[in-house]
Amino acid sequence: MNRIELKLDVNGRERQVAAAPHQTLLEVLRDELGLIGAKKGCGTGDCGACTVLVDDQAMCSCLLLAVEAEGRQITTIEGLASGDDLHPVQRAFVECGALQCGFCTPGMVLSTVALLRRSPNPSQAEIRDALAGNLCRCTGYDKIVKAVLQVAKEGGHV
Amino acid sequence: MSRKQMIGVARPMSDAAPKSRGEARFAADIQLPNLAVAKLLPSPHAHAEILSIDVSAAETMRGVFAVITGNDIPAVEGYDPYDHAHGFLARRFAVFVGQPVAAIAAKDAETAEQALAAIRVEYRVLDAILDSTLAMAPESPVVSRDLAGEAREETITNNAGDAEMANGDLEEGFASADVVLEETYEIPVLHQGYLEPHAVTAWWQRDNAVDVWECVQSPFGARDHIVQTLGIPGHKITLHTTDIGGAFGGKDQGLFSPIAVLLARKAERPVRLALTRAEELTMANPAPGTRIQLKVGAAADGTITAVEGKVCVDVGAFRTYWGPASFSVCHMLVDKYRVPAFRLHAQDVFTNHVGFGSYRAPMAVQAAFAIESMIDELAGRLDMDPIVLRERNLIAEGDVTSGGTSMPKHGGVSVLQSLLDHDAWSASESPRKQDGLCYGRGFALGLWGSGRFPAAAIARLEKGGYVRFTIGQVDLTGSYTSLAQIAAEELGISADRIVFSRADTSRAPFASVSGGSSTIYSMGGAVHEASKELREKIIERAALELGVERSDVRMDGAGVVVAAHPEKRVELAALYEAETSLFYSKYEPFVARGAKGGGVARMSAPCFSGTIAEVAVDPATGKVKVLRLVTAQDVGKAINPMLVEGQIEGAAAQSVGAALWESVEYDEAGTVLNADLLDYRMPTAGDLPEIEAILIEEDGGDGPFGAKGVGEPPMIAPAAAVANAIRDAIGERINHLPLTPERVWLAQVKEGK
Repeated sequence: MNRIELKLDVNGRERQVAAAPHQTLLEVLRDELGLIGAKKGCGTGDCGACTVLVDDQAMCSCLLLAVEAEGRQITTIEGLASGDDLHPVQRAFVECGALQCGFCTPGMVLSTVALLRRSPNPSQAEIRDALAGNLCRCTGYDKIVKAVLQVAKEGGHV
Repeated sequence: MSRKQMIGVARPMSDAAPKSRGEARFAADIQLPNLAVAKLLPSPHAHAEILSIDVSAAETMRGVFAVITGNDIPAVEGYDPYDHAHGFLARRFAVFVGQPVAAIAAKDAETAEQALAAIRVEYRVLDAILDSTLAMAPESPVVSRDLAGEAREETITNNAGDAEMANGDLEEGFASADVVLEETYEIPVLHQGYLEPHAVTAWWQRDNAVDVWECVQSPFGARDHIVQTLGIPGHKITLHTTDIGGAFGGKDQGLFSPIAVLLARKAERPVRLALTRAEELTMANPAPGTRIQLKVGAAADGTITAVEGKVCVDVGAFRTYWGPASFSVCHMLVDKYRVPAFRLHAQDVFTNHVGFGSYRAPMAVQAAFAIESMIDELAGRLDMDPIVLRERNLIAEGDVTSGGTSMPKHGGVSVLQSLLDHDAWSASESPRKQDGLCYGRGFALGLWGSGRFPAAAIARLEKGGYVRFTIGQVDLTGSYTSLAQIAAEELGISADRIVFSRADTSRAPFASVSGGSSTIYSMGGAVHEASKELREKIIERAALELGVERSDVRMDGAGVVVAAHPEKRVELAALYEAETSLFYSKYEPFVARGAKGGGVARMSAPCFSGTIAEVAVDPATGKVKVLRLVTAQDVGKAINPMLVEGQIEGAAAQSVGAALWESVEYDEAGTVLNADLLDYRMPTAGDLPEIEAILIEEDGGDGPFGAKGVGEPPMIAPAAAVANAIRDAIGERINHLPLTPERVWLAQVKEGK
């Protein structure tokens, strides 16, 4: 299969990869760049476990071809905080018990970041609506919503 | 450190921070050199004889490393064609749509898919058996079996196990009843819905031994699965568990590891098989469809006088491994209440559906939907408060359980009372708005027995003054955190100084399944014992070191102090150095063990969990919105209340999913119609209200520090509570889950007439 040389802006770094035209951004992130924080729960855009930020918008990386991601700023869970630091959303998730198995968590955290960047003080209904594309089977979402509200209360600056 | 400084403390999971950074390593994240990708060729037929398979074109394709079919499965002792374990790859017969008939290992997924398309299979299609009632008719065809040895085909039937349990005088019970109700309840096939699909990687490295990495709840069970299916000696298999992206009973001992192991041997390289979501919904092990016919009699004061029931479970093509499944349902129909007379018939039936498995509180959601709907209906007939009616009939300490044992102490009354007094219930009417919607509320009660499984743990002092536990148990959603709190409490050190090594099956002492709400109950006991032993050794040697009697010292943070002179102390870190210095060590290394046996009766620490649900129904569309959920649960002692709440909230969500949306649907040919997460509709954040969890802590739990199993009980009641709330809202009962808009709309149209 012919491969295409791509320059991707991932977590603030330019990354050169050779990707097949049919490869999704998720496949390139995981298989070519080793960024395995994005998870494949379905491959059809139904579960949200592969969510990344594309120009600050939460998107399913399994529904985006890698070639379409060129020239756009991609943020994965690995790029949200540096070293041992936690991003405010990650910290709130930890403190509130908003994660259990952790499979949906990278996507859920990134969808939350996208929400708070466009709406720093969301209502509970707004939060539930914004996260409805990220399935979680462990928590019942209760503590996730509380975690998002906690970040919002702290000012929602993410 | 005084008593109970670590027990009952809400602490984030010890791995919460790395998980929030995406650092969890799930089964599909394992990296190995020259890793090949496996893909499966599914049977398109529910029931067919495989006449021939031609893999020659696939085998010779570039980038294909190995192809296997049923012919590659070695003959093993104890082969059982009815056993789910042996159905991983079709032999002479394919017995459900999606059953693998061939598997390929290739350099990448695309190559594997192309090679699959090149395999030619010739089938003789047989009549599919897809209805559990018809399957038991004498003239029904039977699910074909590739029998071993001397077995004869005419001995095959679709009876997968049946039993009857009875007590008291049933005729007298119904004769003395003032109200007798009879209903039939249907519960569909439910998928556990874990977000991480099954994945398994196998690698034969040297000396005819194989390493397997797999997301399973039971590491030793997963190893045994390979022993059983392929005949590889257990000591030649090392089963490495991984982080698990949800399991809920669906990842007990793995399903398709034998395929990965066979492919890896043939391909002479590591091979990973990760199921797609469509494969998950088609060929994994969802919970079985169940039909429950129930007849209940009660006196005018609400006292139950008799219960008669018939339970039929379509177990699919293979026996469930805990079966008969219907027998569990029978127990659960009568175990919460005093039932003076009952007769229950249990029937498991083989069909050409996928082999079914367990799902969080296996069969209890199904049983509760039936009996809790029925009790709710009784309350309506007798004009009694549904919670009061349950209180009147609640099984008491010392009563004989359905299993014939004596009911231990339990917190059922407190659960009921706390919800009876709750404003979600005690408000005279649930708030009704003038918005054209129908509002209702409902209650249901669940009971789970909590069993104990065998478990062992090894503890040792670690460099820097930490304590390391080596266990085989997997941590699904925070068990290591609670285990660390148990250890820290006993050792008198901070839980931050406790670390866990999740060891593979060649390095860990035995651990059982992380399931059955048993982890804290079983492994918690082993960790507790190991902690006691290690503490004794530390105290003894610290006293020597400090030159005082052992009764003079106590544990203090990261060290040991002389109680009367706290300035005299020795650090755990120093004790570690003293034990490990090659030429100057003063003591033998600190190692301690803890072990607990299993085999305790089914009702060893009964846990009641009750739920109030409030709903709004749109009469124009039949759409249901859940407005409020309150669950009260008898948890014995919550080691970590935040994590216990998390269990209750998550289970409530799953149970609401079962009530309103979830159902694996099959067409007339046995093909799954909704093999994706858009159409197998699980609850989203937008579907659910806030969930209130009330923890009732009462004596009676005989787990560490009085803990009981907490994971499964909260799953049982919410589905039935939502169903009862809908009944309250629209005035009509629906006996068939899920309560889709269509069913609700049709039911209330009927009521309107």
